[in-house]
Amino acid sequence: MKRFERVAAGTLLVIGAGSAYLAIEMGFGAVRVPGPGFLPFWLAASLAATAAVYLVLRLGPDPAARPLWDPGTWRRPALAAVVMLSFTLLMGGIGFFAATFLLYLGWLILIERARWLTVGAVSVLGTLGAYLLFVVLLKVPLPKGLLF
Amino acid sequence: MDAFHGLLSGFALAVTPVNLLFCLIGSVLGTAIGVLPGLGPAATISLLLPLSYALGNPVTSIIMLAGIYYGAMYGGSTTSVLLNIPGEAASVVTCIDGYKMAKQGRAGAALGMAAIGSFVAGTAGVVGLTFVAPPLSAFAVKFGPAEYFSLTILGLLLATYLSGKSVVKGILMALLGLLLAMVGRDPVTGNERYTFGLFILEDGFDFLTLGMGIFGIGEIFISLEEQVKAELVTTRITGLWPTVRDWAISRWAIVRGSLVGFFVGLLPGGGAVIASLLSYAVEKRVSKHPERFGEGALEGVAGPESANNAAASASFIPMLTLGIPGNPAIAMIFAALLIQGVTPGPFLLKDHPDLFWAVIASMYIGNVMLLVLNLPLVGLWVQMLKVPYAILAPSIVLICAIGVYSMKNNIDDVVMMVLFGIVGYVLRKLQFDLGPILLAFVLGRILERSLRQALLISRGDLSIFVTKPISAALLGIAAAMILGTICVSLYRYLAARRPAKA
Repeated sequence: MKRFERVAAGTLLVIGAGSAYLAIEMGFGAVRVPGPGFLPFWLAASLAATAAVYLVLRLGPDPAARPLWDPGTWRRPALAAVVMLSFTLLMGGIGFFAATFLLYLGWLILIERARWLTVGAVSVLGTLGAYLLFVVLLKVPLPKGLLF
Repeated sequence: MDAFHGLLSGFALAVTPVNLLFCLIGSVLGTAIGVLPGLGPAATISLLLPLSYALGNPVTSIIMLAGIYYGAMYGGSTTSVLLNIPGEAASVVTCIDGYKMAKQGRAGAALGMAAIGSFVAGTAGVVGLTFVAPPLSAFAVKFGPAEYFSLTILGLLLATYLSGKSVVKGILMALLGLLLAMVGRDPVTGNERYTFGLFILEDGFDFLTLGMGIFGIGEIFISLEEQVKAELVTTRITGLWPTVRDWAISRWAIVRGSLVGFFVGLLPGGGAVIASLLSYAVEKRVSKHPERFGEGALEGVAGPESANNAAASASFIPMLTLGIPGNPAIAMIFAALLIQGVTPGPFLLKDHPDLFWAVIASMYIGNVMLLVLNLPLVGLWVQMLKVPYAILAPSIVLICAIGVYSMKNNIDDVVMMVLFGIVGYVLRKLQFDLGPILLAFVLGRILERSLRQALLISRGDLSIFVTKPISAALLGIAAAMILGTICVSLYRYLAARRPAKA
């Protein structure tokens, strides 16, 4: 665990240091007249300093070292991230209706490995239900594309 | 208007058919998400923010959102008792004795006492809210920018101290949340900050995008990873109404739970989770038979379930009177008020007394509704547990996506939400508590505004923060907390290095 925490601390340290540099570029101003970078600088510097402290605290051997993910447990969240990002990107192109159908389809086939009957029924009913609720009933202006 | 007359006028508004309907909808939804593992009140409130905006009436929408929050506290116990999985975080501790009771055939007694304890404590919390909020509001009117700055600092510090196991990790998350709040246009000069030339970042991150991402989507990732095979106790649930013996065992646990919950709920970062854990510890300590805890002790259910409801009611106090949300779910309600053009804080009672009192009155009504919903309809909630997560999860993703998209009709916001979800998931894996990010994000803008106003008033003299008595006292408490932590850490470090005596 300590190894991953060191990576997290290092990442936050870099974010803090980089943000502090950018804050100075924005214009620090003065205490009397703070510029746009005044508070961001102090926050970023504090983030970098706290991350450095955290990094130091996490140094040294880790007797209870264990992986961040148990074998195979990362697969379903990783697939879900791919399905979600594909859904959001597709929604702009092929429209809400078709993208929602593909979301259910992708989710049930790739992540849940559901039976075909379940995949078909849930995808059709879920998409129709969402369309009726959000487009017909609540009149949310969702992207149009293929089909509707 | 005194509290009594204010409450009467609040009831007049809360009992209109529309408000009663949305109070019921909020309570039912709250119970449902409390029952269903993997979807917490913060995520649900964020899902319904667009709907609350569409309702148009801030009173009605806040009544519904408040109902979701305190309703979730009721529903969480059902899953804890019958499935040994907390429906939401504040019911974690109820699993210990609740599930044991269910295994012993006493699920009815556990669920019944949880519902009654929740009702008593929830109502006691609202009574506290009724009488504490107005004087606190009147006091907070005296707050200027310096006091607000110091209060925000103290609030953030408390949130980081109370929210997780590691203070350093909490501070890191709070600073990250504050930094995220700085993205977008500078409110004074209009200069772009951390936008990297991207159009989508010009207005900064949206609260909804961040909240739905790290809580809604992040929770889905975690749930997908944890394929919990839980055993649902399916025996017929009888004996919901407590016996005289049950009352005798539980009455003081309910009273203590209500008090613990109320005071913990007042603190930023306190909230229902810590209240229930603390109440369980208190009950175990005061019990003449602590060995019964973990083996199906009724007090181990009654105390924590009372505490989380009292805390839920009390956590409205700092938000409504000071404009400081204490936990992520309350931060979502805070955002809902801002979306509706209502600024929570000391002037809320003066500027919007109708909203202030109607929400409080609706909480009395909502608690009665929840008692009715949770006792006779427990079988219905049990059926809900049989809905497969395989169907639920993509539907939640869809609702999150539509909620975020409908705010600005922008697909990029939905992509951003998923990215925040991935970041939130990784941070959770690294055991970072995400509450401080969201709280800091909300408070970041208050912090910057009050800091700049205070420095403008004092012409750059930083002593304004220590020469004003209220501000000095608040900063003094914050400094004492930091010093105390350093001293304790140093003492532990030195104690660990000291060689053990032979």
